[in-house]
Amino acid sequence: MIIHVKNLVKRYGDLVALDHLSLDIKEGEIFGLLGPNGSGKSTAINCILSLLNYDKGDVEIFGKKMTPDAYDLKRDIGIVMQNVAVFDELTVYENIDYFCGLYVRDRAERKRLVEEAVAFVELDQFRKFYPKKLSGGLLRRLNIACGIAHKPKLIILDEPTVAVDPQSRNKILEGIERLNAQGATIVYTSHYMEEVEQICSRIVIMDKGRIIASGTQEELKAMITLGEKITVEAFSIEEEQLHQLRELTGIVSVDHMDNRLVIKSDKGNNNLETVLEFLKSHQIGFGRIYSEMPTLNDVFLEITGKQLRD
Amino acid sequence: MFAHIFLYRFKCLIRDRQLVFWTLVFPILLGTFFYMAFFNLNNDETFHPIDAAVVNNHAYQHDAQFKFVIEHISKGKKRLFNLKVASTQKEADSWLKTNKVKGYFTNGETLRLTVQESGLEQSIMKRFADQYRTDSSAIKSIAKENPKALQNGLLSDLGKQQSYVKEISGGSAKPNNVLNYFYSLIAMACLYGSFWGMKEVTDIQADVSARAARVNIAPVHKLKAFIAGSMAALLILFSEILVLLAYLHFGLSIDFGPRTGYVVLTALLGSMLGVSFGAFISALVKKGEGLKVAILLVISMVGSFLSGMMFLNMKYIIAQYVPLLSWVNPVNLLTDAFYALYYYDSLHRYTLNMTMMVFFILLFCGGTYLIVRRRKYASL
Ligand SMILES: Nc1ncnc2c1ncn2[C@@H]1O[C@H](COP(=O)(O)OP(=O)(O)OP(=O)(O)O)[C@@H](O)[C@H]1O
Ligand SMILES: [Mg+2]
Repeated sequence: MIIHVKNLVKRYGDLVALDHLSLDIKEGEIFGLLGPNGSGKSTAINCILSLLNYDKGDVEIFGKKMTPDAYDLKRDIGIVMQNVAVFDELTVYENIDYFCGLYVRDRAERKRLVEEAVAFVELDQFRKFYPKKLSGGLLRRLNIACGIAHKPKLIILDEPTVAVDPQSRNKILEGIERLNAQGATIVYTSHYMEEVEQICSRIVIMDKGRIIASGTQEELKAMITLGEKITVEAFSIEEEQLHQLRELTGIVSVDHMDNRLVIKSDKGNNNLETVLEFLKSHQIGFGRIYSEMPTLNDVFLEITGKQLRD
Repeated sequence: MFAHIFLYRFKCLIRDRQLVFWTLVFPILLGTFFYMAFFNLNNDETFHPIDAAVVNNHAYQHDAQFKFVIEHISKGKKRLFNLKVASTQKEADSWLKTNKVKGYFTNGETLRLTVQESGLEQSIMKRFADQYRTDSSAIKSIAKENPKALQNGLLSDLGKQQSYVKEISGGSAKPNNVLNYFYSLIAMACLYGSFWGMKEVTDIQADVSARAARVNIAPVHKLKAFIAGSMAALLILFSEILVLLAYLHFGLSIDFGPRTGYVVLTALLGSMLGVSFGAFISALVKKGEGLKVAILLVISMVGSFLSGMMFLNMKYIIAQYVPLLSWVNPVNLLTDAFYALYYYDSLHRYTLNMTMMVFFILLFCGGTYLIVRRRKYASL
């Protein structure tokens, strides 16, 4: 087990930020911590890192108890903070070199690692730039480079893509997958379910400091009753027909709004076929038709009764 | 590791232009401003020799000494007087009335000066007359025994226009007192150095900045990193204070007395006081950069004010009515240390000031240590 967290409780006054949180993160996985704003993701990370003190619970990393001076553990951990944490007075290269130097003593080795990190986040042409002169996306990339230059075995990224344009975001996500392919275990927190769906091999969904669901994407989606969601462009349909549609087996809900028919079905296999046959047999004219599998948002919605993203 | 952190902290600090401005450029500008205000630099530069006369009476003709001195200082480009010789007292009087001269000297039993109004020029003439009267017996005996010495510089002191202009235009303050303004300026610069200490704490306390959180997560002993950074801060501040001292001394001819070693030691202790003070305040006041800056600024400025930087008598008022305040005001301790070093031969008062400063430094360092050594935070 790379990270083992048991019954972690963290209070801020009356607010319980972490409520008996337990996590197990295995070697080699990309572990996603998904939750809406304020659900306690950053608090969990900071407690795991022994940066925050907590009221109760145990944290082990690489099988050993994590403490502020567990230097042998810290040496193998890389962190990318939610807030960009770089020095405005140091250039891109110097920032990476400074943080890398806190982990790696050997000069030649350090130089090699820093060069690799610069290349990895593709900041080569900006190496002499000061952070103030970098765009948001480039700054995020620098923030990442500072956390990973020393080639840690465990990399924790806390919302590394906040306020980043889609192109930079994809670059970052690809990079994370590459780091994982090179052997690093990744912990990735986000409130963007698309990101988590895209890269994470295992996911924990948090809300109000508690874990509400965990598993692989497929497992999570299997947990809920919702199957696929079918959307049909239908211009005229009678109330009676809607009613009949609702009665069909496998159909959970039917809504008709703005000439769009949204049909939610359960996990059966032939739902799309059933709907198509119904439309044809009742001679209901329709335009485009498409079907989506449930997202993590639907999972969150079904469990908590609210949207993941507000 | 220590060297790595020290080096990068040094870079971080020295590249903070705002801080360099407030801790180095600003005191230098303020010092220059003081200099111009107190020493009338403008007047000094455009100094016109004063129109003066001397009555050519019997005493003057037979006092070779005085004749030599006054002719000597009325010669050359940097002369003090445009000297005219009046054949009679009456003639000199008429010149004075028609404003052809600002005043005239009459030699006799002693040297007399006659002026009509008072002003800078008249004051300078008076200073000259006073100075001559005091020095004349000495000059006379030297002239008897070693006339060469007189020409080789003894006189140059008496005739230097600059020294007169400076002393007189200092206004009501005695020249020695003017120095106090500059000493408290140095003290202020040291206390402004508290911003360096503040920056160090900001960059090591994870509950203050995200950068610091990242350092806290690295496999580095926090105190070690903090000490490395504080050393860099101290080195920078100490160098700045030395530059300021050099500028005041060599550029503006501010006198610090002959004990250079002690002056440098005072500067070092002052720098330590500044850095540790800033570190302590910003460790104590967790949140709010603005609040910290405000506290540091207010304490530095009020401290400077109370030690007489804006208004000299303040220092004496405090010393007389609230003596305790002058012993707990770090700016005053520093100012007074420089002052005592210049003014007294005995090191007693100086030592007392320095001891108090050491006490404060220990207090601030100890307090900072107790706060900064904590490695887990209640909230970030
Ligand atoms: N220093 C603090 N003092 C008091 N409450 C805090 C503090 N930091 C966080 N909280 C509260 O703890 C809860 C968890 O916050 P946390 O920052 O861990 O959430 P998060 O999941 O990381 O959210 P985000 O997606 O916005 O980063 C929130 O309700 C927040 O308001
Ligand atoms: Mg967060």
